[in-house]
Amino acid sequence: MFEQSTVIRAIHSTFEWLLGLVGVDIEIIPESIRVVLYGLVAAGGLMSGIALSVMLYVWMERRIAGRIQARCGPNRVGPFGLLQTLADTFKLLRKEDIIPTGANKFLFAFAPMIVLAGVVAAFAAVPFSYDTETGEGIMVADIDLGIFLITSIIATEVIGVIMAGWASNNKWSLYGAMREAAQVVSYEIPLGLSVLVPVMIVGSLSLADATADQLGGNWLLWRSPFMPVVFFIFYVAGLAGCKRAPFDLPEAESELVAGFHTEYSGLRFSFFFMEEYASMTLISAIGAIFFFGGGDLFGLQGDSAILMFLILIVKILISISVMIWIRWTLPRLRVDQVMTLGYKVLTPLAFFMLLGATIWDLTDANERILGFLRRP
Amino acid sequence: MVETFKDFGFAVQTAVKGMVITLKTFFDKPVTLQYPDQRPEIDERFRGIHYLEQEKCISCKVCALACPVDCIHIESELPEKGLYDWARFDIDYGLCMFCELCCFPCPTDCIHMGKEFDFSRYSRMDLVRNMLTWEGISSAQKKEVDAIAAEKAAKKAAAADKKKAEGGDKKEG
Repeated sequence: MFEQSTVIRAIHSTFEWLLGLVGVDIEIIPESIRVVLYGLVAAGGLMSGIALSVMLYVWMERRIAGRIQARCGPNRVGPFGLLQTLADTFKLLRKEDIIPTGANKFLFAFAPMIVLAGVVAAFAAVPFSYDTETGEGIMVADIDLGIFLITSIIATEVIGVIMAGWASNNKWSLYGAMREAAQVVSYEIPLGLSVLVPVMIVGSLSLADATADQLGGNWLLWRSPFMPVVFFIFYVAGLAGCKRAPFDLPEAESELVAGFHTEYSGLRFSFFFMEEYASMTLISAIGAIFFFGGGDLFGLQGDSAILMFLILIVKILISISVMIWIRWTLPRLRVDQVMTLGYKVLTPLAFFMLLGATIWDLTDANERILGFLRRP
Repeated sequence: MVETFKDFGFAVQTAVKGMVITLKTFFDKPVTLQYPDQRPEIDERFRGIHYLEQEKCISCKVCALACPVDCIHIESELPEKGLYDWARFDIDYGLCMFCELCCFPCPTDCIHMGKEFDFSRYSRMDLVRNMLTWEGISSAQKKEVDAIAAEKAAKKAAAADKKKAEGGDKKEG
């Protein structure tokens, strides 16, 4: 199964070449150990990519926030202040790792890992590029149930947050965790439903198939008139799923100190921080792949996998900039408003859109309308 | 249901309105002053750290008397009329409250509120600032003093000579 994925194959051939230099045949290592080894290498690559991108996002966030508030943002450390996040990271790493006396030590230490691991694991099924020759997505785990795997894996993040809130032995943490549970779980319904529409149109749960289907400017966003609304639902539900403002109720600092990570400090806190940005990236990547053609730019990229990767990265960065823009514009919603939006607006709207898009797709409405317009 | 969707539509409308405003601000020039590199423009009547025109000062200590917190310390001697042997003109900025009351009574208009404003220091003693541009007697006045002293010495010498001459006469006589 792992041999099927492009990234694993690349790692395999790299190892083969490296061992070949020493004169060792790769077949000496048993298959089971090799699978674990390749998996670890891929996970390390993903993790370091995410950590590096988080540094960029924090810089972007602070710069954009600054400009929105007519300030400069960080501009002292390094060129344009790019190394500010690195300096902050070192500061964070040097901080004392405090575990409160009343805390459940095991759960307290384990929660940030679960939270981060859940999101990073989901990146395995995201195709960062597409190989047009073989028709494969360049991804770690090329499985047919891609989006299903992703939505299931990011649901584990809620468990980690509840663990963090409960283990902290702090009422603010617990409140934040309960809010997180209520919010994220309820917004998974519109998120799942809105993802269902592109899945239905493409006819596959795999994100690589979605990319292949949209090559040449045939983006899902304009396949049917329902898609822009579906994308809106997806984006709002995604924002709520990432706990980003205006849905940052789990860590509402004016009410709950810092919510579920009130008691966390140092490296453990930075895990929660990274998780937030990583899940933003994930939502942006899924949005770009399912609605904006993934690595496609109206066929201009040709067959180049690197160009497709760069185009996808640019799309993700634009999406994240919009998220930052939203965060520094809109005030936080009230708890009941969040629940109302989720259950009374987005969920029924998503059902309507699913129904409408299904009927539209089944009746071949695009062809009919185009044919009607072309009729002399 | 309809009511909820109406509210939702209104919420989206207002959110878009707000986002347009922030987008406009995003493309504005930041108002930040890069402080240590760029200095702010200071108003004409700003009350910063004093500056003293020592050549005009007559060491009358009216400013020290006027000071409500007694933060001005002046010590000087008058070796000759109109000449000042400066020992001390300190202002303790740990005490000073920048009320400008020292500047009004000055008969020669020699103490002013300046434009310097960043004077944080590591110790309290460093906050006491010496306002003197020179200590002792000024170089210009030093010449005068020397001239006077020389004149005096000459006079004395002359007198001594006279006395000597007179004494010599007496002895001789």
